Amino acid sequence: MYASYNYRSPDLGGAQAVKLLIAGGFGVGKTTLVGAISEIRPLRTEERLSEIGAGIDDLTGVAAKTTTTVALDFGRITINPEIVLYLFGTPGQDRFWFMWKELSAGALGAVVLADTRRLGDCFGAVDFFESRSIPFIVAVNCFDGADIYDEDEVRQALDLDPHVPVQLCDARDRGSSKQVLVRLLEYLMATATGNVPARRW
Amino acid sequence: MNGGAPPGGDDPGPLVRPFAVTRGRAGKDLRRLDILTLVMAARTDTEAAGLDREYRDILRLCQHRALSIAEIAAHMNLLLAAVKVLVSDLIDAGYLIQRPPRPAAARPDIKLLQAVLDGVRKL
Repeated sequence: MYASYNYRSPDLGGAQAVKLLIAGGFGVGKTTLVGAISEIRPLRTEERLSEIGAGIDDLTGVAAKTTTTVALDFGRITINPEIVLYLFGTPGQDRFWFMWKELSAGALGAVVLADTRRLGDCFGAVDFFESRSIPFIVAVNCFDGADIYDEDEVRQALDLDPHVPVQLCDARDRGSSKQVLVRLLEYLMATATGNVPARRW
Repeated sequence: MNGGAPPGGDDPGPLVRPFAVTRGRAGKDLRRLDILTLVMAARTDTEAAGLDREYRDILRLCQHRALSIAEIAAHMNLLLAAVKVLVSDLIDAGYLIQRPPRPAAARPDIKLLQAVLDGVRKL
């Protein structure tokens, strides 16, 4: 009998992995934000475009280059003994990341990181999440020397729905990056409980 | 699953072998495993002594802790597609247990969101 207590059978129990996406234009600080809040140094994983784009027709020209890979940086936050939160940023070949259907499928929500000097760089991400009804917030990474816009100016420039939160942040700062995630999760809670006009639910 | 390179001196190294191991099977199991599927070793390092190196490396990474497919791929510096095939083999052979992430179409779970929010606030 006693032996059975010593035998630790492997058990994944209630273990659950969830993910948030950090999207935005090239060089806007996505991996910086992930690194600021992750419990591990951001890891990088790669996939061949031919694997990701399987089933997509307009890749003919790209798929021929079989060596093309798309990279993702991600971090990890152990929420509690059962829940692990993964933060996926999309560095490198930004123009391809949206093809990674597996990445957005099942995501709780997303942060679109924006740089006010190049707001147009995040139109693609905003469109992507809007069209797939993935709830997102916009976080404006306030670089040194960048013009500081207020939330309404950013909202107008990006033509955001009135309920989409806009948060100013410094992606290098842990507390500020944490606040971005808190804002997103509060928004996801509000959306899920019907306190925000949601498209999906 | 022991059909890889012969033991001894002609080891082509970690970058080549997984593709030799997975050749011809690279599409079979891709849909079964998500980048966020968690896996954990169900057997010890010693029990895996006869396996090819990549299999042993995966089992070593997953002893006593749950890791996602994405983490295994990053730690081993392999493409996700290759890791999915290797992990599939290990699951089929009983060396790993797995837990898939919540279905993509699932409605948001308020309790889950609250737990994540609480966890992030505590950081």
